Amino acid sequence: MIEKRRHTLGVLAALVAAYAGFRYFPDIRPTELNFDEVHNPLGFRRLSVGESSGGFDPFFGLIAPNTDILAEAEARVRADICGALYGDFLSETQLVPAASFSDYYCPFCRVQTKTLAALDARTDSNLHVNWHELPLLGQPSDIAAKAALAAKRQGAYVAFHERLMKSPFVATPEYLQALAQDIGIDHRRLVADMQGAAVVRELENSAALAKVFGFIGTPALVIGRTVIQGQVDEATILRIAEMEIEENWTSQC
Amino acid sequence: MLEYVLEKFFRVFASRLILLICASAGLANVSNAAESESFSNTAVQARLIVAENGVGPNAMSLSAGLHLNLGEGWKAYWRSPGEVGTPPSIDWTGSENVAEVNLLWPAPQRFTAFGIENFGYHDDVVLPLRITLAEPGAPVHLNANVTLLTCSIVCVPQEFTLTLALPRASGVDAAAAALISSYVKKVPDDGAESGISIQSAYFDPDMTALTLAARSEQPFDSPDVFPELGAGTAFGKPDIRLGEGSHLLWARLPVLNVETDLPDLWLTVTDGERSASLFAELTDEAPKPPFTLDRVLPGVAELAWVAAIAFLGGLILNVMPCVLPVLSIKLSSTMKMRDQGRGRIRMGFAVSALGVLAFMWTLAALTIAARGLGMTVGWGLQFQNPVFLAVMFLILAVFSANLFGAFEISVPSSLQTRLARAGRGKGYTGDFATGAFAAVLATPCSAPFLGTAVAFALAGGALDIAVIFTALGLGLAFPYLLVAAFPAAISHLPKPGRWMLWLKILLGLALVGTAGWLFWVLIGVGGVRSALAVLALSAILVTILSFNRLSAGIRLSGAAVMTALAIVSAGYLSEASTPNVTLATEWTAFDRGEIAKLVSRGEVVFVDVTADWCLTCKANKALVLDREPVLSAIRTSGVTAMQADWTRPDDSISRYLESFDRYGIPFNAVYGPGAPEGIVLPELLSSEAVLSALEKAAERSVASGD
Repeated sequence: MIEKRRHTLGVLAALVAAYAGFRYFPDIRPTELNFDEVHNPLGFRRLSVGESSGGFDPFFGLIAPNTDILAEAEARVRADICGALYGDFLSETQLVPAASFSDYYCPFCRVQTKTLAALDARTDSNLHVNWHELPLLGQPSDIAAKAALAAKRQGAYVAFHERLMKSPFVATPEYLQALAQDIGIDHRRLVADMQGAAVVRELENSAALAKVFGFIGTPALVIGRTVIQGQVDEATILRIAEMEIEENWTSQC
Repeated sequence: MLEYVLEKFFRVFASRLILLICASAGLANVSNAAESESFSNTAVQARLIVAENGVGPNAMSLSAGLHLNLGEGWKAYWRSPGEVGTPPSIDWTGSENVAEVNLLWPAPQRFTAFGIENFGYHDDVVLPLRITLAEPGAPVHLNANVTLLTCSIVCVPQEFTLTLALPRASGVDAAAAALISSYVKKVPDDGAESGISIQSAYFDPDMTALTLAARSEQPFDSPDVFPELGAGTAFGKPDIRLGEGSHLLWARLPVLNVETDLPDLWLTVTDGERSASLFAELTDEAPKPPFTLDRVLPGVAELAWVAAIAFLGGLILNVMPCVLPVLSIKLSSTMKMRDQGRGRIRMGFAVSALGVLAFMWTLAALTIAARGLGMTVGWGLQFQNPVFLAVMFLILAVFSANLFGAFEISVPSSLQTRLARAGRGKGYTGDFATGAFAAVLATPCSAPFLGTAVAFALAGGALDIAVIFTALGLGLAFPYLLVAAFPAAISHLPKPGRWMLWLKILLGLALVGTAGWLFWVLIGVGGVRSALAVLALSAILVTILSFNRLSAGIRLSGAAVMTALAIVSAGYLSEASTPNVTLATEWTAFDRGEIAKLVSRGEVVFVDVTADWCLTCKANKALVLDREPVLSAIRTSGVTAMQADWTRPDDSISRYLESFDRYGIPFNAVYGPGAPEGIVLPELLSSEAVLSALEKAAERSVASGD
């Protein structure tokens, strides 16, 4: 009698466990990552994630930059693609640089930058993130991006970035003043730097990189030599970082 | 604000459209020129549609719409997009004979992705446009410069121009009119038609949450609430509760971010096809929820999953130091009776398993009852009760004395024979008690598995509690059930011999250890006086039991008297419950209010909630907190180590734990400029986890300004 009940219970438990297994661990076997080789710039490859990337016209955002200036910037970044993407961070082989392109008004950028910032901060992570501003969504995006880059000149980029990514905001001069005060940076210098040539040039370089890699929107990410359009999960980022180290991304740079 | 006022026109607009549709039915020959060329890519297909074929004689306005057909997985946003995002906007520069265009917003839907709340549209939407003409009856040229953010996993801004020329003509585009009208119906009204009204809306002084109550003439079905309070203010996911036969809607929304300069509060309440956008006057008091519910009833899958964890947790409890001795006792008693035959062994173990379950069910019933009375129940809370501790201590003292050979526990022969006559086998009561005892002892070993399952049980409904405690019991009873199913396993046990004496002493030592620990807990909970009284009475009890010369009757009654005395003295002599402040020097006493202050000064706060009866807490302390490198990390200046002692019941600590959905300890959290909300550490601490949390919390990168 009791034995019979044990068996029934055993079968039930097995069913529950199997269901829970399928329900909660769908990704034990990692899915195959597919790449398409990029021919221009040669040596990079593009991660295929679904259908969403195709079918768009080349795009430069809601504030169209001057084409001449963009062409100039494009020539500049093409001369040293890796330098433009990753800054000075090119020497180490056990770390992979990642270039993140985001806009402060894009919902999925928040998700992506949070993931990346957490990975970047982790001491055991092999990822080093270089942040690019790609303000595609109009005037407020543009102001926020310039402010963040100006804050960078005072060593407060990450603070500014995380703050803007954390809360909704309207990038008005008053808001920026309050924020500068909160973070403890010089507001007047911030305003001056926002109009400065260095910040404008940095934005031009990022826009040129976006054009070179054919980004249609944000977020976008380049890890080593892998180009990713759209938000991807942490596991995928880590897998690609691992692959880049194994396959020696430095050969590209 | 203008747009809200304008929305009141929508009914006029709708009735006009219906007239147009009706009129079109009478016209056999209609041209379909009333739509623009469409703009199209993967994300969206957009076009302008107009209900009229052209501008009729003396027509003062046109009914139009921006039709967005979004690709699979793509979204566009509402006028208030949520935490982040941008709404569509249309610039009419280049249009001719257009005086004014009013854009109406159909009720949005809520999208939650990775904790970010967005409001908007997917699949198909028409944003109705009410176009007022500068010169009535004259031809119109529409030039719509549309700016639109579309997102799937990537956000792609769209900017395109749609043009449409409308000559002088009469007639109606029936399809376009019907489409526009169907979306006009989805534009929130002022409450007149939807029957929705706002009763109250309240912000707490710190602006952490908005609590509101709305009423509807017809019952709410699946309502949602979208507050608007300026572009810089965002709200989290609402907790919505319905009452009064679903005529009352109560909702509480956390405020994620707030601007200093606040405009009027507008609330859009949606419920299926109907919706209303209403101005909400702020009230001084928060509306009361129609019922309190900590968590909505979980899905079956979630329940099954947690039950599985509870079962595993129960199983693991068997090898916990506080339960293992009981299992040993049970097995050693089995050795004695292995000659009694399979049936007896099988039945004995089954009854023990039942004993475990009975205790768990009692706990479940008590938990459900206590929840009914609105009490907060903590796992291991019974270890805050001196009477409970005294009884446990007595039982352990007797058991260990028994194992050391002071006396043999046996039911008096007269009673034995009576029992033997009454039941088929003898001593099933003992089997049952062993099981129940094991279960009682298991409660303080709040292993990591249990934390999850029990928190879930306590936050859930009666059914969840019953299921989880049963699963816990089944796990704990598993070894007994195993023997019950395969009694043959017993015969594989070693033959009795001298080793049994040693085993007995070893088990006795384990029990003495447990008793010593309980005694220590009792000092913490009840004070030294009551603990000593219980100790003395236990000693007398054991001595009485050991006097072989006395008759069993006298011994048992003496034992009963001593037990009663011990319980009474434990209850009466225990000192008034004052918080235990004798903390180790480097720990400051827990003060929840102090945490925010310290963090605002840029300090890191390490919170440890512990109790004398919490073994896992002791392990954490010995293995991690009191050892390098963690020891010096939490001792450095700029780090405040706070300890909350939960040995005795303390409401403030219970509430603090509850705020993290935890009902058991160990509990550790780290606060700092980088983590003002606190980083909750795992129940079993590791040096790496503590150090990385400290490091993360100390980061100044996240502004601590708000």
